[in-house]
Amino acid sequence: MFMGIKNNTFQDLIFNLQQYWADQGCIIVQPIDIEVGAATFHPASFLHAIGPEPWNAAFAQPCRRPRDGRYGNNPNRVQYYYQFQVVLKPSPDNIQDLYLASLRKLGVDPLTDDIRFVEDDWESPTLGAWGIGWEVWQNGMEITQFTYFQQVGGLECNPVMGEITYGLERIAMHLQEVDSVFDIVWADGHLGKITYGDVFRQNEVEMSKYNFEQSKIPVLFEHFMFYEKECSRLLELNLPLPAYEMVLKASHVFNLLDARNVVSVTERQSYILRVRALAKAVAESYYMMRKNLNFPLLKR
Amino acid sequence: MIKTNDFLIEIGTEELPPNSLQQLSLSLAQKLQEGLQKAGLNYGEVKTYATPRRLAVLIKELIDKQPNQTIERRGPSWQAAFDKDGNATKAALSFATSCGVAVEQLRKTKTTKGAWVAYKKTRAGDKTTTLLPSIVKDAIRALPIPRPMRWNSGELEFVQPVHWVVLLYGNNVVNTTLFALKTGRETYGHRFYCKKKIPITEPSKYAQILEKEGFVIADFAKRKSVIRKQIEKIASEYGKPHIDEQLLNEVTGLVEWPVALLGSFAEHFLKLPQEVLILSLQKHQKCFPLFDNKNKLLPYFITICNIKSKNPKRVIRGNERVINARLSDAGFFYDSDLKQSLENRLNQLKNIIFQAKLGSLYDKTMRVTKLAEHISKQIGADLKQTKHAATLAKTDLVTEMVKEFPELQGVMGFYYYARLYKKDVTNALKEQYLPRFAGDKLPKTKIGQALAIADRIDTLVGGFGINQAPSGDKDPYGLRRAALGVLRIIIEKKLNLSLIELIKQSRKIYEDFFGKLITSEGWKAIDEKKILDFISDRLRAWYLEKGYRPQILAAVFARSHYEPLETNKRVEAIRAFLKLPEAESLAISFKRVRNILKGGLAECSTQEEKEEIGIGKLDTTLLTEKAERDLAKQIITQEKVVKSLYERKQYTKALKVLAKLKKPIDKFFDTVMVMTDDKQLRNNRLTLLAKLEYLFLHVADISLLQT
Repeated sequence: MFMGIKNNTFQDLIFNLQQYWADQGCIIVQPIDIEVGAATFHPASFLHAIGPEPWNAAFAQPCRRPRDGRYGNNPNRVQYYYQFQVVLKPSPDNIQDLYLASLRKLGVDPLTDDIRFVEDDWESPTLGAWGIGWEVWQNGMEITQFTYFQQVGGLECNPVMGEITYGLERIAMHLQEVDSVFDIVWADGHLGKITYGDVFRQNEVEMSKYNFEQSKIPVLFEHFMFYEKECSRLLELNLPLPAYEMVLKASHVFNLLDARNVVSVTERQSYILRVRALAKAVAESYYMMRKNLNFPLLKR
Repeated sequence: MIKTNDFLIEIGTEELPPNSLQQLSLSLAQKLQEGLQKAGLNYGEVKTYATPRRLAVLIKELIDKQPNQTIERRGPSWQAAFDKDGNATKAALSFATSCGVAVEQLRKTKTTKGAWVAYKKTRAGDKTTTLLPSIVKDAIRALPIPRPMRWNSGELEFVQPVHWVVLLYGNNVVNTTLFALKTGRETYGHRFYCKKKIPITEPSKYAQILEKEGFVIADFAKRKSVIRKQIEKIASEYGKPHIDEQLLNEVTGLVEWPVALLGSFAEHFLKLPQEVLILSLQKHQKCFPLFDNKNKLLPYFITICNIKSKNPKRVIRGNERVINARLSDAGFFYDSDLKQSLENRLNQLKNIIFQAKLGSLYDKTMRVTKLAEHISKQIGADLKQTKHAATLAKTDLVTEMVKEFPELQGVMGFYYYARLYKKDVTNALKEQYLPRFAGDKLPKTKIGQALAIADRIDTLVGGFGINQAPSGDKDPYGLRRAALGVLRIIIEKKLNLSLIELIKQSRKIYEDFFGKLITSEGWKAIDEKKILDFISDRLRAWYLEKGYRPQILAAVFARSHYEPLETNKRVEAIRAFLKLPEAESLAISFKRVRNILKGGLAECSTQEEKEEIGIGKLDTTLLTEKAERDLAKQIITQEKVVKSLYERKQYTKALKVLAKLKKPIDKFFDTVMVMTDDKQLRNNRLTLLAKLEYLFLHVADISLLQT
């Protein structure tokens, strides 16, 4: 029943998901070229959740969480990892079935593996967003986050976007039955076998050093301030898309500061609120811009 | 003849929140019953079903139509309606018109007040099938859903998206539209075992059909007991399982076709504190841990799947992989936490805000330490050790382990400092959080008691200081719980602590703190009495919850002293007193004593005269009547006994002695006239009553005990 590693490499996982969701009618977009903590920050998710326009997209997204770095020593925690995200708006009635079919496509048999939808409502304080949903368990392992967006950037979602976020490394570990993320087989072509560790272990070591020891704290504070101001300036010029990029940059700089433990608990809250204020302002501006364009995607 | 049929509703959804689905199905049943009762539709037994993907209610023997209703409308009086020739008047005509009938159809109805014109109409009851759609809709609308969600186009709202609705009355579908879906008889079984629709032929066979064809045990209680049995069976070979009731409910809410599997984790993790392992297994993985005969954790767990897997070993391996990874993370936290020094942690507390206006957790630690020291002196806890415990108390909050598992606050402090401090100190770290909820256990060690009280008093005084006293259902800092915690510890551990003193101390500490650190605008001059009364109110509420009669509390609290232990002694004494046969009439007599005394004192011409009576100096030569001599004699003999009992706070005994005065008091009131014209005699008798009042009023205001 299970495919061999040959068809179940890390890259096969991405190929298979892309193909599957393309077959379902999604457009396959590429990752955003800015550091983000989760695929939800991709404009294809966050911005497209706003307003009445339909939108169906799928993409792989590298995510950075500086705090989660473990110098490449922990088999389960890394500061750079991949999500595969699918967004469907409006969320189709058979969204769960579509998702389960994607798992079957990956070689998961729900009569062999125990697949469960476990309540886990999602909230992003920095994005002013929340949703109702589950984490999907495969034999006790969380492999996917499933969310019906209810609010984004402080705006009610109408229609509702359904978001499916696959944790690629976890799924790969389970499919390949390996105990360390670094042992995942990334590719196994005729030029040889390459593991996740071959590709990323050095990166984990060096980036952990940077995140925890070498980042320049005063400069990061300055950067945060700059991006924050820049975002407001761009919003005044009715440029929500560049302004949104500033939100993403500010958010990443904040994560870097957080990794250095230089943000106290109260300050932390106030930084989160500052990013949230920006995200809300961008959401509103973006909505107005789309409205002025008569919501072009609505017409088809 | 009355006809009945069974009724079934099933709402098919996506996976519901496991902790609330049972309550949701009970609420649905409740709301449906309310609707049926309102419509006058009788029914028999009601059964609820709940699984992750469905809420269902079966109502048996629901009557098939409303009873006919006779409606009578009364119009003008008969006299006003017809003149003496029997012709209808204008009043009668317009009443008939308003009823939509001719005058001839009006009837006469008689009451005690006379005869009236009336119109009687029989309204045929509606059919149940006609009424059901709106009853069902109203019931669904009235469901208490804490966080309703929208899906798809965003027009509908429910707990989770709805996919089908079964609505049957007898063997027929009640046709209507719910959640934009046509109701029907077809349900769906298990997500993975049953792909096709399953028709429910008749309501009472619902659960049976689902189980047989759908691989779904719809009955929550049945599923729960199946899981429990499976756990016990599979565990029996290895050890005894710990089945946490709340977890069992949650797991029951996560599966439709439960299958228990046993897995194991690496034995070396057993060196971690048991609490960490248990929490990790239960909370994160929703697994049940196993113990040996000596209650030591074993390296096994039981997980409940939603399928009978084709390859159970693979499912077990998957679960084991996750659990081992989680435990190795916990192990990493534990090891790195052990490397941190206390000073380091104390400093980190400065970064954690206790409350914006009340400073950091470090500030709180400093305040609580001072207050705990003060308390330790009062209750005989070791001063130095109390200081140690108070200083350490909050430091485990900045450990990685407690950040990961907030429930382990206190417990981790216990483990991390076990090698450095005495057992009493580290035990107190755990005990400071007790009691956590109503009926929870209390701190056993004196140090733990001092710490637990100091922590809560600091929160109470601080909360009132920044104007955050609870109001209505708002109690953001849990002050009600804090007050009750203090009261329970003082009373049940019999601590001689005065609330007045505690609050005064805490206020002083706060003033020092603000004086030195910040000048806070939000800080109000503390109204100590307000806090004392708040705590007093909690005490009263606590007694009422325990079923103490309100009169007991009224009587004792009328003489309240803000000393919980003292109050408690009095409450118990009065409770015992009320069981005496004399109690009721003594209360009445005592009320009479007070009234007469009050009246008598009002008639005194000078203040001195009043004081004279108050002092209670009796002139025995002025006692003329036998009854008053007897009473005086009794009072004088019992006075000494009672007063010495009072001094030893033996209130129950004292009241028992006083009960002996019932007869002489009754006799006195029967035969002696207090308010006689002879002023000397009168004041002497009033003095006698004043003595009596003093004796009775000491414990409580007995006059308030009357039922």
